[in-house]
Amino acid sequence: MNALPLATDYVPRYQVWRRLLWIAWTVMLVLGTIGLVQRFVQGHLPAGYGSYVPWGLWIAIYFHGVGMAGGVFFIGALGYLLGWPGFQRGKNLRLVIVLALSAIVPAFVAVGLDLGHMLRFPSIFLHPSFTSMMAFNAWMYSAFVVVAGVCWWLSYLKDAGLRRPLAEWLKPLLSLAIVFAMLFPSQSGAFFGVVGAKPYWHSALLPVLFLTSALTSGAALLLFARVLTNAAGGYQVTPQEQAEEHWMMNRLRIWLVAGLITYVGFEFAEFSIAFWNPTSHAPALELVLWGPYWWVFWGVHLLAGVAVPLALLGSRTRRYWPPAAMLVAVSFLSARLNVLVPGQAVPELKGLHEAFRHSRLDYIYHATLMEYFVGLFCVALGMTVFVLGRRVNQAVRDWFQVRVPTFGHEAL
Amino acid sequence: MPSEQNRDRPSLPPDPEPVAPPKTGTTMTRQEFVRTLGLATAGVSGAVALVAISRRDRAPRDPVGPDTVRTLPEPADLPGPGAEEDVLLRMQRELRQAMAKPVEERKWVMVIDQRKCVGCHACTIGCIAENKLPPGVVYRPVTTEETGVFPNVRLQFLPRPCMQCEEPPCVPVCPVDATWRRPDGITIIDYDRCIGCRYCLTACPYGARTSDFGEYYTDGTVAGDGDVLAADGAKAWEHQPNHELGKRWNRTGHQSPMGNARKCHFCLHRLEVGELPMCATTCIGRATYFGDANDPRSLVSELLQQHQTRTLLPHLGTKPRVFYIA
Repeated sequence: MNALPLATDYVPRYQVWRRLLWIAWTVMLVLGTIGLVQRFVQGHLPAGYGSYVPWGLWIAIYFHGVGMAGGVFFIGALGYLLGWPGFQRGKNLRLVIVLALSAIVPAFVAVGLDLGHMLRFPSIFLHPSFTSMMAFNAWMYSAFVVVAGVCWWLSYLKDAGLRRPLAEWLKPLLSLAIVFAMLFPSQSGAFFGVVGAKPYWHSALLPVLFLTSALTSGAALLLFARVLTNAAGGYQVTPQEQAEEHWMMNRLRIWLVAGLITYVGFEFAEFSIAFWNPTSHAPALELVLWGPYWWVFWGVHLLAGVAVPLALLGSRTRRYWPPAAMLVAVSFLSARLNVLVPGQAVPELKGLHEAFRHSRLDYIYHATLMEYFVGLFCVALGMTVFVLGRRVNQAVRDWFQVRVPTFGHEAL
Repeated sequence: MPSEQNRDRPSLPPDPEPVAPPKTGTTMTRQEFVRTLGLATAGVSGAVALVAISRRDRAPRDPVGPDTVRTLPEPADLPGPGAEEDVLLRMQRELRQAMAKPVEERKWVMVIDQRKCVGCHACTIGCIAENKLPPGVVYRPVTTEETGVFPNVRLQFLPRPCMQCEEPPCVPVCPVDATWRRPDGITIIDYDRCIGCRYCLTACPYGARTSDFGEYYTDGTVAGDGDVLAADGAKAWEHQPNHELGKRWNRTGHQSPMGNARKCHFCLHRLEVGELPMCATTCIGRATYFGDANDPRSLVSELLQQHQTRTLLPHLGTKPRVFYIA
């Protein structure tokens, strides 16, 4: 049994973290609102994407958010099903569901704002074409949200011992949601992989890379969120729970390290094939490695997203783990951007961008201030959903506690 | 507050090895396992069914058969077929003949003779005027390729309309079925259904689809009086609807096709009234040929038989219907 209070192991300066996160949230919300207003007033005009690079920062945020949601849920729900310590309680599962939701909601907003006709999004459900990976993806994560929501409610019923026949559907539905949570991040890779027009995307490894990054960034987000919620929630836990928390954190840390190494391994495999066969998609890779945004790969992805977190996670000092997890969760966005943008930035037909000059008919993409601001709004929105989601969890728990006296601490 | 306590303790002692508590181990009952299997089977079956349904051969979305036959009047004052007949007049005559057949019996192709193209961009501009394309939207750009070293330089021009592929990669990626290939081989977009996701833009290897982001050429121009060359007149003209695909489209108020993907459709609205696509009409070098490849006596059929033509990016298997004579 650890002698120190649980949360102080991981966030010895919780109040500092808390203050910083609130400041960040406020700043992001203010700037994000400016971006949002600009988006609604001026439409897509202030955006940097065009017709030859049609997708930019928002789509990267979308895939990153969707991936993290899948990763968080996969790990958390699997842990609940298999009874891993620190995952096995109803409250653990509900936190995982809220966290997954707080990653996927901003993703929906980001992709919605990217649409040319935002209000037509129901078309994807009303008359979808399943020859499109986009339709499949949309259906899959919508089904996931519905099933995860049902599981959230069933977990309360199960913990309260109410409506047993209904509550017994929890594990079967959870298994289904786990499959969804694994499928839609992989589909995100297939989303690009099926585009034969872009050699850099047209790779069977892409779904695997996306899944790996989802599980890695999901583990990172889960670790970070669990540490903070533990710290925020006080220390009214039993020694048994404390031990479980340590076990869980350590497992997440191992998961994270394994995920990072696996991702870099797959990435090396993908890059090395291109470089040993330069006729394939080397131009896009050269953009990734030595293009104008070289620092995104070397600095943000490899250094801040992999090397520094690996060094921090390699330490047994637990207070290093949350910053490492946060670095991974944030900087893996660069991995999405490095798939998305270079894949579009290499023309198939030479001279097309010079044939008819316009800023939207160019293969160079720079995200604009509006895009960054809206990106910040998405992060602030995710944080808001998480905080509100926890409050809803708390309110429903209180509601059950009033009605079911046996709904005790274990199920909080 | 624990955090308060820790403020005085900046460096913590090394953490002990985490203790693994005994596994609580929630297991599935037989009933839960059976339900899980049932759900998984239902899920997989549903997904397979959806894929199978969406990939089946569907009936054409456009009308076919006798209803699509167009009997277009022959202009009285034109010279008949003969050696002196201008290729434009011949193509127009053949176009009327093709329109007299049901749509599914027409096979529109375009043949571009790069040896004749002088890179004047008249086709690009003609297309923009005809379809009232806003800034950033272009259906037929002309690329320039320069080979050699000055003064021994050769310029080659490549007009690039939509290839109207037989296997269009832009069609299956559309999540809402807003784009499809007509029975005569022209790929079109239903602007009212398109959600503007731009997936089709990424799927087209020729960059033949562009998105209408809502710009106007007259944005930011100074006011002038009613002359069409002054801002007010130009603005009034620019805000008038266009008539692509035989429908009236008014972009004002972010209405379609603003926000949509847009593409060349071989001037379908002109074909319907017996006129050649604008790019073929405006080509000053008579380098763009258009016609029905199902008619063995048509000019395009002759050209395809007589010349060694090429298509763009043939390795992608899209089977373009735009052919180049180089």
